[in-house]
This record gives sequence, C-alpha cells and structure tokens, in this order.
Amino acid sequence: MTKAFRFPRVLFLLLTVLSMVACSVPPTTPQSQTPTEPPAQSGAAEATTAPAAAEATAAPAPSGDDTLTDVGTPRSETLIFQTFDRQTANPDLHNPLMNGYALWRGFRELGWGYLWEMDTGTGQSYPELAAELPEVLNDEHTRFRVKLREGIYWSDGVEFTADDVIYTLDTYFENRDKLTYFGISVITNYVKSYEKIDDYTFEIETINPAYDLSTVLGVYTWGSAFNIVPKHIFEKEADVAAFRNTNPVTLGPYVVKEFDPNGFWQLWERREDWERSAWGWQGEPKAKYVLYKDFGPEETRVLAFLENQYDVDTFMSPESIKAAVAQNAAISPYSPTMPYHDMNDACSYGILMNQHKAPLDQAEVRWALALALDLQDVGINALSGEFKASPLPMADTQILNPIYFAPLQGWLNDFALSDGYKPFNPNFGADLVGRLSEMGLPAEDMPQGDEAIRSAFGVGWWKYDPAQAEKLLGSVGITKNADGIYTLPDGSVWELEFVIPDDWNKVMQRVGFSIADSWRKAGIQVNARQVDNAEFGTVQNTNSQLTTLLNWTNCIFSPNYLNAWRSIQPEYLLPADSPDTITGNMYRWSNPQVFDLVKASYSQEPTSPEFQEYGREIIKAFITDMAYINLMNIPTTIPTNNTYWTNFPKADNPYAVPYSWWSSAKMILQNIEPTGAK
Amino acid sequence: MGLLHYVGQRLITYVLVLFIGISITFFLPRLMPNDPIDGYIAQIQSRAGQTLSPEAAAEIRATLSELYGLEGSLFTQYLNYMRRVVFGFDFGPSFSAFPRPVSELIALALPWTLGLLTTTTVISWLLGNLIGLLAGYYHNRRLATGLEVLGVLIYPIPYYILALTLILLLAYTWKIFPISTTIRPAPLSLAQLGSILYNSALPALTLVIAGFGWNILSMKALAVSTKEEPYVSFARLKGTSDGTRMFRYVFRNALLPQVTALALSLGTIFNGALLTEMLFSYPGLGLLMRTAVGNGDYNMLYGTITMTIVAVATAALVIDLIYPLFDPRIRYR
Repeated sequence: MTKAFRFPRVLFLLLTVLSMVACSVPPTTPQSQTPTEPPAQSGAAEATTAPAAAEATAAPAPSGDDTLTDVGTPRSETLIFQTFDRQTANPDLHNPLMNGYALWRGFRELGWGYLWEMDTGTGQSYPELAAELPEVLNDEHTRFRVKLREGIYWSDGVEFTADDVIYTLDTYFENRDKLTYFGISVITNYVKSYEKIDDYTFEIETINPAYDLSTVLGVYTWGSAFNIVPKHIFEKEADVAAFRNTNPVTLGPYVVKEFDPNGFWQLWERREDWERSAWGWQGEPKAKYVLYKDFGPEETRVLAFLENQYDVDTFMSPESIKAAVAQNAAISPYSPTMPYHDMNDACSYGILMNQHKAPLDQAEVRWALALALDLQDVGINALSGEFKASPLPMADTQILNPIYFAPLQGWLNDFALSDGYKPFNPNFGADLVGRLSEMGLPAEDMPQGDEAIRSAFGVGWWKYDPAQAEKLLGSVGITKNADGIYTLPDGSVWELEFVIPDDWNKVMQRVGFSIADSWRKAGIQVNARQVDNAEFGTVQNTNSQLTTLLNWTNCIFSPNYLNAWRSIQPEYLLPADSPDTITGNMYRWSNPQVFDLVKASYSQEPTSPEFQEYGREIIKAFITDMAYINLMNIPTTIPTNNTYWTNFPKADNPYAVPYSWWSSAKMILQNIEPTGAK
Repeated sequence: MGLLHYVGQRLITYVLVLFIGISITFFLPRLMPNDPIDGYIAQIQSRAGQTLSPEAAAEIRATLSELYGLEGSLFTQYLNYMRRVVFGFDFGPSFSAFPRPVSELIALALPWTLGLLTTTTVISWLLGNLIGLLAGYYHNRRLATGLEVLGVLIYPIPYYILALTLILLLAYTWKIFPISTTIRPAPLSLAQLGSILYNSALPALTLVIAGFGWNILSMKALAVSTKEEPYVSFARLKGTSDGTRMFRYVFRNALLPQVTALALSLGTIFNGALLTEMLFSYPGLGLLMRTAVGNGDYNMLYGTITMTIVAVATAALVIDLIYPLFDPRIRYR
C-alpha cells in the first residue's frame, strides 16, 4: 500500500516539473529567411534583419518619461491599430505571392507599393509607383504603356525599376500552378503579353479590351492582385512558392521590425529613407512605429481602449463605443450625430435569393419579401438605428450617390409594380428619425433637415407593407392558412431557409435574426440557419444549397460597377439543384437586357457617361426584377482615441475612409498629428 | 500469465480505439457542409474591389485542389492519409496557413497549451482535492461548510464571466496583470521567463479558480462517505491522530476516482482552452482548432483531433495499466 501510494506523489511531481518545463519553452523565434545579402550600399539594411530574435528585446531608448508600449517603443511615436483579423494563422509568411500570408498585418499599407493607388475619398485612381495613369496604345484598348516613377528604392537600397515588374509578371506566369495568391489567377487571365522598354518603362497587352488596368494592376480599394516583388531577392530562390520571405525587403516607407510568432501583433518601423519609398513622395508618415495588435474580444478591447493602450479600433459594436465614449473623452465615433459610423464601405448588406428555385423564381415573390421586411425595425433592433438604407444594389456612398442615386431619385419615386403599386418610400429616413426620437435619442444627435437626414439615413427604402406583400403572393397562388402562415399553391407551408453568419460576424447575425423575425411576423415560415465562415461561402456559391442568404458580396466602390456585376451573364447559370459551385452571376439572374448592358459596359471607360448610364439601366432592371434585396451600407464602426494622435478621418474631415486595412491607412499616417502626450 | 493477458487486452483495445478514432477523424470533417476552396473563393469574391473573373475562380479551384491534395476519390485520400499518419504522424500542409505543415503549427502552439493547462489542471486538482478533503473530513464544522459553499458558488459560474470579472478586477481596476498577452520573441532567459509568467499568470488564475470547484465538491462527497468506513473508525479507536486518519486513511482511499479524473483531464489538455485563448489573446491549440473549423482546414483538424485522441486514449491506457498499483482489489481480481 505504501509503495502504491508513492505513485500519485511521483506523478504529481513529474507533472509539475513537466508543466514548468513546458511553460518555460520560449516562443518560437521567426523562422530564419533563406540567406539574402542586401547590397552594401543599403541605407536601411537593418530592415532585412529586423525581426531577428537577438535584437527583438532591444527596445528603443525612451525619451524622457515616455510611456512605453507592450513591445518597448515610445507610445508617443507609435500608432496602434487593433488588428482586423485578431490573430493571423501564418505570422512569418511574408511572401505576397502566397495565399494566407500575413496580409492583414499592414503589408499592403506600409510594406508594399502599387503601380496605381486609389484615393478612397474620391474613388479616383492615382499613380503611386507609376509616373502617370496608363497610356493607351491602340483603339481596341488592349495595349498600354506604363512609365514608372524614378528614384524609388527598396528598403535594402536597391532601386525599383521595370525589371522588378517584368520579373514579377514572369513569376506569376511561370509559377501559376503552385503560387496560391488569388491575384496570380487574376493577372494570368487578364494579361496577354508584356515587355520592358527601358528601366522605367514597360508595355503590356491584355487579353480583352481593358478599361480597368489601373485598378486590376493597381489598387481598387484595399489591395491589389498585382503584388510587385523585389527581383534581386526572389530570383535567388529556387522555389518561390516555398519562400517564406520572413524578413521582407519592402517598397513602402516602413519595414517589419518585430512580430509575434503566434500571430497576435506586428510592429513596423519607418525607414530612414522613407522619402524614396513607394509613397514617401506624398509626404511624411507621422508615426515612427506602427503596431498592429489584438487586444482580445470586445469586452477586453474596450478596457484596453479606455486605458489608451491603442488608437484605432476595428468593428467595435455600437454599444461598446457608447460605453467607451461615456468614460473617456478622448474616444470618439466617426460622427457625433446619428448614425455615428462611417458608411462608405464598398460593400452593402443584402439578401441573395436563388432565382432558380420556386417560388423565388417569380418576381412577385421576391418583391413580397422586400415589402414584408420592416427595415426600420431591423435597423433599430439590430443596430440601434445606426445604419444607412440603400434601395439600389450598391452602397449609398459619397462617391456613388451623385452618379447613381441622385439621378435615379425621380425614377424611384415613380416606379410602380405591374399592378400600379408604388413601393418606394422616400420618407424612410424622416420616419426613422421620428421613431428614434420617440425612443428618446437626444435631438442634438439627430441630423437636422431633409438633406442631412437623406445623407445620414439614405435616400429611402421600400415601404413596409405586408398587405401589399400578401396581395403579390396571392397573385402567384401563395396564400395564408388558418394560422396566418403562407402556404404554397399545393397547400403545403412555404418554408423559407434563410442562411446567416453565426458569431463570426455578430452584426450580420443580429441583422439576420431581425429580418427573419420581420418575415415571420408577416406570416412567412422562416428558418434562420446560422453557419460558420466556410459553409457560408459554400452555400453562397452552390445552387443546391442556396435558398436565401444574407450577404455582403455586392461590393462597388468607384463608378466601375463591373467588379461586382461583370459576371451577370448566362454562361454562369447552373441548374437549380446543381451541386457544382458557380463561378459567376451569384444572383442567379437571367435577364437578356442586363446581359447586353453588362457586355456593352465592357467596352466603355468607367468614367464615361455611357458607362454610367448603362449602370443606371442595370440598376433599374435589378429593382424591377428585385433580383437582390439590397438593405443597407455596412456600418463601419471605427472609434478612435485621441490621447496620443489626433486628426483621424471623421465625418467633418473625410479626407479618406477611416479604415486601417485599406489604402486609406496611407493617408491616415500622413495626416495624423502627435498630441505630445507621453 | 494473468498480467500479460490484462496488459495485452488493454493494448489491443488501445490500438483499436486509435484506429477507429483516427478513421472517424478523417471522415467527420468531410461531412461538414463546407469546402476550404469554396470558402476561400467566396472570401475573395466578397472582398471589396477584387476583380475575380469566372476564369480566374475556376483556375484557383483547380490549382488549390491539386496543391491541397483534394483530388481523387475519398477512399484514395483516406488511404494516403492513413499511410502518412501511421508511418510519419504527418498531417500534410495546413490549408489556412498553406504551405506550412500542420505539425509545425501544432509544435508552435503546443508548448503554450501544455504549459498553461498542465500547470493549472494540476494546481486546481491539488487545491480542489485538499479543500474538498478538509470540507468532507470536518463536514460538521462551520469552516468546512464555508469551504463547501466556496466550491458550490464557484463551480456553476460560466468561465467567460468568471474570467472577465478577474480581468476587470486584476487588470483594469488594480493593474496587476496585463489585459492582453504580449510576449516578445526572444531567447530563453530569466527576463523572458518572467515575461511569460507575468503574461500567463492571469489566464492561469482564471483556469485554476474555474477548475477547482468540481474537485472540491467531488472530494468532499468522497471524504464524507469514506470517513464512515469501518477501517477509519478502527483507526480512530486505535488512537491515531486526526491528521493521520484524514490523510492516510480517508484521502488515500478517496483519491482513486480523482486520479482517474485527473488523468482524463490531462488527456483532454490537447483540446486547448479556447475561451482562455480568445479572451487573453493567448496562443494555443484551441484557437488553431477554431480557425480550422471556420476555414474547413481538414488537415489541421486531423492533426489536432488525432493528437487529442492519442492523448486521451493513452491516458486511459496508462490509468488502466497503473490502476492495479493503486488499488490492490484489481490486482487480486
């Protein structure tokens, strides 16, 4: 017995020792890069070795009594963003030709450079690495000449030239079967040929007439399919797909200084020679350090935000923002008045319906779903009224409104269904203001005047009219039974599956449940099914799985709507029960007039009146067929903390969209100012 | 002969459990209604402004199917999988961190999970059992009732609430610990060890407090009933001290089911501690598994689940094999 009893003791001792040993295992240091030898003339050679573990703990010397960040940099010189994706799965993969590289850690904004960038305040492309917009060389719009800006250098001191561009294109084509970055397929299906003319000039030919070269080989909103890599580094690699590029040579004004091998944070340091970086010519990035860090779930993020531990949050819920603003005067939302948040995201929330499946194959049914949806209720219940409605199949943004919304206002007012019913409610915003005021929201938080209300809550939306919805459904044989539930023509209950994200997108989850509630109140037997991220994509792209789905795929930022609508063509339609995934036309929409309009748009400049008129005609067809129930702009909830930095983009100073994960971060870094707080 | 039979029987069961478990692990994720490639393509399609033409989408699908090893029939994939797992414990590349091997990602997360959960499991087990023993042995005293109430109060509190409360108190109100984890990569040194301990202390504390309630309650119940056994009464009549009876007579005999529970708890450590990892931005296997489920990363799921199966099955085997040493009744059988 005594001997036997020794075992638990030994076991405890063993486990305790084991656990202590395990606990003391150091974090894996960044995997060492395949040796690269930066040229001797490097002015920023430290960049290539920055994340090395040996110097990782060497914090910059604080000036005076500066507060230090968790990673040892002076807080007053460090701009800190909450990470967009919390944790990255591949923190040491910095090869932009591979899917899953740590792209949400600031590489696009701080590390890489692009031929053309986009001004997120206006939607206009502007040259970044290129010296000017592409020069068209033929009438077919397939051949272009591109001149590069001179005097731009990689962070190791090597000059950026056309050789880098040509090498990158060569790499895309030669390794298209093993490089996994999605841009590889985009570019290799877009570019036909290319050649270097001189060190600062190259010519390129596209497969089809191209009017969007500057946004396909450049940036549309937040990133690009064409990530230019340094020839002098990558050409030494026998297998570029296996190259992790852990210590990247960058073209942007920052270099990676240190990162968490577990993927929760990454620190960037401004290059000494930032003026000759990809966008340093635009002006000085004010922060010497930029830290992307995850401060945990919303509950702990709020605490860290209140403690001024970081400057810019990403997608904090309206409730948390209110709580934070109430307790820390330095914290502010995007706008002091309703709906408080930025509404300029390119995407919008909407409901995708499988138009192949009965009864959704009938426009009357799709319209009935729109009219049975009380969007004011949905917005109030799910978003505390902090939303902007959009009846067109795109977000109602400052860029798109004058081109598509304002010219169609009269048409929307006059638009009637086949029975003469006019479904549009231009007073949606004013009605919403009335309801919110009744709920006790302070008058000073409300937009004042018709124009301000329209700007805040949108140009209007569809009437909430369950009676008209019942009439429309009745016209196609869908009637209510004795319990007030809609039944199909064969007498069975109409059970509508509605797929929504589970808690990986809490805002959409709430909106989804609220929509389902609204439909149920109208008598539609809805089954709101929550799915995880991967299943969501599968449902969206598979006819046999899709009935209705709350999504945000209709993404249009500039006047060029083809990014979202290019594939509305008959060849992408599959049978209703097909288990194969679709590769285009996710609306499952068959409208010959629209097919023609989309094709006609292919050969027009997106800025031309013709292109935009085609767009308006497509929008009218979208609405007439109710091919997609667009709901609202995505409320992008980005509060900022002005303790250490000020002059972030706000509603009264919208020099860029306020997103840290778009190109707008470049503008933010140039425009912010230190407050002097230590 | 009896011993060999006993050990052999258990080893056969062990191998069978592993085979069935690993096979189910292969097929189960395939029944999930998601697809890693479609998920990836849908992500791209839903990102503002990415011009993903239908031709490009089709090409991405073909390329990734080949690179991910998702071509061929399910049975062929199963055979390849079993060959790799059995002979090399190789789970292939992670889809969400492609082309990084699953084993590398697990190796990166495992020390954190082991360090945190082994320590906290053992501490909460020891603490809970000691308090439970006191509460059970002295169950008529006020202090014992107080200890029991402590267990009853803590046990049902949802972990998330408990952890948030501790963060509020110990990281926000009294700034003793950091709100979120920041451990900088550096060679192992005293300073680095200190940083790890400092950053791990609050997550560990929440796990210990959340974990020891059950141990208090179960040990208390065992101690109360064991105390009434005739051999304890006999020891009292012999004039042994309270401490001797409590530790040598009651604790030893009440310990057996608790040891089983501890072993199984240690086996499930390989599941990670998802809520803790999420709440504290603490690295570990829980987040790996969560990401794998969300992205349809079959290989990562295979790796993490197989490891758990092996750990739990091994823990059960070890318990089976050493139980006769603890409990002579089994030896005699």
